[in-house]
Amino acid sequence: MNDVIAPPSVRALAREKGIDLQHLAERLGRSSITREDLVSGSSPAKAPAGDTSYWDVEHAAYGPVSEEPTSRFAQVASANLSAANTLIPQVTHHDRAEVSAIEALRAELKPEAQARGIKLTALAFQVKALARALREFPRFNASLSVDGQMLILKDYVHIGIAVDTPHGLMVPVVRNVDRKGLWQIASEIADLAARAGQRKVGPDEMGGASMTITNLGGIGGSAFTPIVNPPEVAILGITRTEIVPQWDGAAFQPVSMVPLDLSYDHRVINGAEAARFTSYLAGLLADPRRIMV
Amino acid sequence: MADNHADFIVLGAGPGGYACAFRAADLGHKVVLVDPRATLGGVCLNEGCIPSKALLHAAEIIREARHGNDWGISTGNISVDLDTLRARKDGIVAQLTDGLRGLAKRRKVQTVRGSARFTGTNTLDIDGTAWSFDQAVIAVGSAPVRLPGWPDDPRIWDSTDALDLREVPKRLAIVGGGIIGLEMATVYAALGAQVTVIEFMDQIAPGADAEAVAILRTALEAEGIAIHTGTKVTNVKAAKSELKLMCEGGFAGEIKADAAIQAVGRRANGHLVDPHAAGIDLDERGVIHVDETCRTSVEGIFAIGDVTGNPMLAHRATHQGHVAAEVASGHAAALDTDLIPSVAYTSPELAWVGLTQNQAKERGVAHKVASFPWAASGRNLSSGGGDGLTKLVYCPETSRVLGATIVGRNAGELLAECILAIEMGATLEDIALTVHAHPTLSETVAFSAERALGTLTDL
Repeated sequence: MNDVIAPPSVRALAREKGIDLQHLAERLGRSSITREDLVSGSSPAKAPAGDTSYWDVEHAAYGPVSEEPTSRFAQVASANLSAANTLIPQVTHHDRAEVSAIEALRAELKPEAQARGIKLTALAFQVKALARALREFPRFNASLSVDGQMLILKDYVHIGIAVDTPHGLMVPVVRNVDRKGLWQIASEIADLAARAGQRKVGPDEMGGASMTITNLGGIGGSAFTPIVNPPEVAILGITRTEIVPQWDGAAFQPVSMVPLDLSYDHRVINGAEAARFTSYLAGLLADPRRIMV
Repeated sequence: MADNHADFIVLGAGPGGYACAFRAADLGHKVVLVDPRATLGGVCLNEGCIPSKALLHAAEIIREARHGNDWGISTGNISVDLDTLRARKDGIVAQLTDGLRGLAKRRKVQTVRGSARFTGTNTLDIDGTAWSFDQAVIAVGSAPVRLPGWPDDPRIWDSTDALDLREVPKRLAIVGGGIIGLEMATVYAALGAQVTVIEFMDQIAPGADAEAVAILRTALEAEGIAIHTGTKVTNVKAAKSELKLMCEGGFAGEIKADAAIQAVGRRANGHLVDPHAAGIDLDERGVIHVDETCRTSVEGIFAIGDVTGNPMLAHRATHQGHVAAEVASGHAAALDTDLIPSVAYTSPELAWVGLTQNQAKERGVAHKVASFPWAASGRNLSSGGGDGLTKLVYCPETSRVLGATIVGRNAGELLAECILAIEMGATLEDIALTVHAHPTLSETVAFSAERALGTLTDL
């Protein structure tokens, strides 16, 4: 007997559309599938309102092209991103944090990290610092009810980690970051990222985050504007750490600076709050001892 | 070079074959339907399901008349005119097979009388005429199993002979207590034969719910049918005056009979079409294996119905027939279900589908049982029904229905609701909250669900 509950007509439609019901149910985190799921799940993402007919171009008229069907995974992500970008008024606040102390600490702990077999990444510090900041600024650890009537404040700190995988962007979540040490956080991030790459992250390991971090530092860039991942109200983008000259009153000193890009839902958070939040976060990153106290 | 060519050819015009041919024609194929019989409909219509139901109806009339006294209605002595009964049965069969002929004609399906054998991957021989085809469907069904070591004697019948209704023997032994054997027992007991059923397994209707089968057994025994389970027939002697069946096991000794019916199952007819010539394998039971799209191992050749193995039931064949026609026409169809209902048209009827309680126990499937005894059904009592039971097997975690067994009057009809419920993933709550008409036998399904949910007020 099928594990997925679907009426015969829905099973027939799925067969016609070449949709694996077991797969779809897993992806939707559900035990039953209806006709609507097949129709919305298999159709391409809804285009934004307005006339898009000018997008429909005969590309081959301009030179050779090849076609690659988009995966259902990509189609769902596409629909979600369109909705987030269209429906949420977002602002991105840019700041940067001095991370020389973290760099020094990481260098110092390298032998221990090797001994533990854990790579103590800058991301682990950023996740821990963000958790601390979320406890300090509860409105960032919140979600707006769908009707906009209620702000739901969360008394837990789970951080989503955007992971680039061959099949698309995935966001596994590290739970209760505020109650975990750096070693554990680093090791959980490594484990989740590796399994996300193999598409082996369970449905219970995604969703429910307080906020998401998307770190492009390993690739490059000096700033970007990430899109808020609803129902979260903010997302922290991070790009490559650079050594920049800083005037200490007498001379320029070389310091390591990491760019911070905080996109937030302006319905919940105003610009001043965002600036204070980012500034506080930068302070924590500049002096990692403060993360702990 | 073949003399004839078929775009789409169906071998066998039983319930699977004709359904397949008609569906293919409706989908635009030029269809040829081949069968050795003069009439369409195969075993089911000509010498199986339909004529047996006619005889079972006659048996029911006899039983009702006999029980009329309980209601103050006396009919006097009941006499049966076998010729009239046989003619009535044959008339019903003729009406249905003629109807099929009309349906075939309307769809421009060409019917060819003959026996087909493959001669290659896309060629056939039909009684000496060479045919080529683009796509073929094997639907040649099954035949009654003949027990080895039995003498050759006209008093030894198979189910086809039994349905001929040549005579009513004084003493009738039926070897095999499956659905066919029990239906024959029901018919001949009502017609006045002294019937003995001999079943090798520990229960009659093997595979069905034990509790329901016990109710059926009691009812059959009350009609004067002797039943020996766990009993093997070791030897059969055809003496001049009678047949002598030596038995061992549950019943040890000799059973004397004036006729005996072999009803120990059916064997697939795969060998009849020489599938090897087309490159298709047969297993040792004569079965041609297919996937859920009814494809054989050879492109363009499908197989459906009894020839594809168990369960050998007409309604499975019909569904497979549609699937084969649709797949052959490029549709993404499949027989996407395990829910093939079984019905014994005995008195009372026994019907079941999906997981039985016994199977759930054997397979270690987490389950619970919801049931309702028919002694508490107003509709059953007021229509003169005897003992009966409706039983649902469900998942304790989700309360989804996983299987159903019903024994009682009209059980075969009542089961349909349960099959639909399981297909739709219905829970006990879904069934309990569906308003069932009162007083009906169908209420027993809802009552079973309510009983398990603790909301029943009729018990």
